[in-house]
Amino acid sequence: MSGWRLRLLQAQPVRIDLRGITPAALAGLSAAQVEQLRVGFGNTTMALAEFFKVEPLSPDDSADDSLVFEGDLSRCDRIGWQLAAGRIVVEGSAGHYAGGCMSGGELLVKGHAGLLAACEMSGGALTVEGDVSDFAASTLPGSMDGMRGGCFIVKGNVGERFGDRMRRGTALVFGNAGDFLASRMVAGTIGVGGQAGAHVGYGMRRGSVVFAATQATLDIPVTFVPALVEAVVFWQLLARDLARHGGPFATLPSRTIERHLGDLATDGRGELILAR
Amino acid sequence: MIHNGVAIDDSFAEAFPMKGTRIVITAHNITWARHAAVSATGFATSVIACGCEAGIERELGTHETPDGRPGVSVLIFSMSGKELAKQVERRVGQCVLTCPTTAVFAGIAEGEAIALGKNLRFFGDGWQISKLINGVRYWRIPVMDGEFVAQETTAVVKCVGGGNLLLLCRDTDAALAVAEAAVGAMKALPNVIMPFPGGVVRSGSKVGSKYAALSASTNDAFCPSLHGLVANSEITPQTRCVMEIVIDGLTEADVAAAMRVGMQAGIAIGASGGLLRISAGNYGGKLGPFHFHLRKLLAAGSTS
Repeated sequence: MSGWRLRLLQAQPVRIDLRGITPAALAGLSAAQVEQLRVGFGNTTMALAEFFKVEPLSPDDSADDSLVFEGDLSRCDRIGWQLAAGRIVVEGSAGHYAGGCMSGGELLVKGHAGLLAACEMSGGALTVEGDVSDFAASTLPGSMDGMRGGCFIVKGNVGERFGDRMRRGTALVFGNAGDFLASRMVAGTIGVGGQAGAHVGYGMRRGSVVFAATQATLDIPVTFVPALVEAVVFWQLLARDLARHGGPFATLPSRTIERHLGDLATDGRGELILAR
Repeated sequence: MIHNGVAIDDSFAEAFPMKGTRIVITAHNITWARHAAVSATGFATSVIACGCEAGIERELGTHETPDGRPGVSVLIFSMSGKELAKQVERRVGQCVLTCPTTAVFAGIAEGEAIALGKNLRFFGDGWQISKLINGVRYWRIPVMDGEFVAQETTAVVKCVGGGNLLLLCRDTDAALAVAEAAVGAMKALPNVIMPFPGGVVRSGSKVGSKYAALSASTNDAFCPSLHGLVANSEITPQTRCVMEIVIDGLTEADVAAAMRVGMQAGIAIGASGGLLRISAGNYGGKLGPFHFHLRKLLAAGSTS
């Protein structure tokens, strides 16, 4: 199986819905068949070739079965939606719901991503090298659980409500996070390399939010209590795992921590961890 | 076959399949890790009445443990996976959970999973927290010195139990010296434990008894006090003290390696040090699938 390169022909005035365009769906198809795959366009569907130039990856890349999107896809939504296996690379920005509901495989976005990236993600790896907008790693509207597995890495900044209702998995932000970080978090791990906005851990039940910035200035909500004891064993297990992602997390295992437990308004078994 | 004055019997040790696991106990310092490991491997000399055979495999440096603290690796063997699971839960629950500053981790990754912290977590009375880190689930249980961290499960693998050496010696002093040297050499190897006190057992047994209720009884053929009394005595007037070393290991090769270095350590002491003969316990080869022939082990050792 060889990969594909889909080159966006021009920016569209209406959003394109790329759900279903996954390496597994394209496997075994001819270029002509791939061109005729239907994608959402506003309230109708169109052939993929209306928007993308479809090319098999060159024979030199025969070992590479990635699906590569080229161009500014910031108006293309649901890239890697329900991705279960294979690799997708976006050489540019992605629209909303990037990596939404993905359960395996790998999605790499070299630019930015829109709203609800990694929402209800349950496995695999999603990396965004730029920024992502609000409600990343969170839940689809009306659903009970947000991100529930896998590894989500944002090299830039994230918007508000990052990790809302998150239940499991690891979500790391190398830059800053907006307001209501980890709101209503059920469990899992969030790491932030920069600063966070107001109302961190609002309604958080369980889970760990790690602040890796040495000078993290955090307005700890009054519904959190400082922890009296260190959790050295747990911290070493977690810090060593986060350290392999590098960046602001690389030095975590050698640093001491300060923990705040809450949110007492709900279950109260979550923790905000400030690395010193 | 005679090495350094020591007669090596043309015999073999007969060993059995067991189920085993390795757990890693860490603590604030090696002293407390040791306390927990000694306690958890206590009363675990023989499956006959202890439920399992367990021992300390070795001590671990800070760079070898999951949490970067000093630790001890422990091997636990039992006759069935079910019994092993019971023993691990009891021993970890009573001896590791209770021991100051400890944490416990699986020491084997591949194999059928049995509970390690999975059921102990209920000690947390609802305050326990599960944490999935890099695909491995841990339980954090609040305790009076902070937090007891236990990996959810450990893996069970098929093992080999009951490898043994019989060291026929001139007297008690010589027998202890030879046995201690052999155990010392074996302890340097990975994946094996010698479950008896100090690694040595003086009450070697044979299968069966004159009493119907007993399945095993004293190995009268090797009892110096019965020399001249039992018909099949293996004792000569020169051998007045016999010690046995029992070895459990993760694989047949591990047990073989341990028996080999044990024999070599004894041979190094030699007849001048009081070791006259090395033999091994078997049941005619009909009971256990693993046969460790003493002469073959030594020959393989000298060529390698």
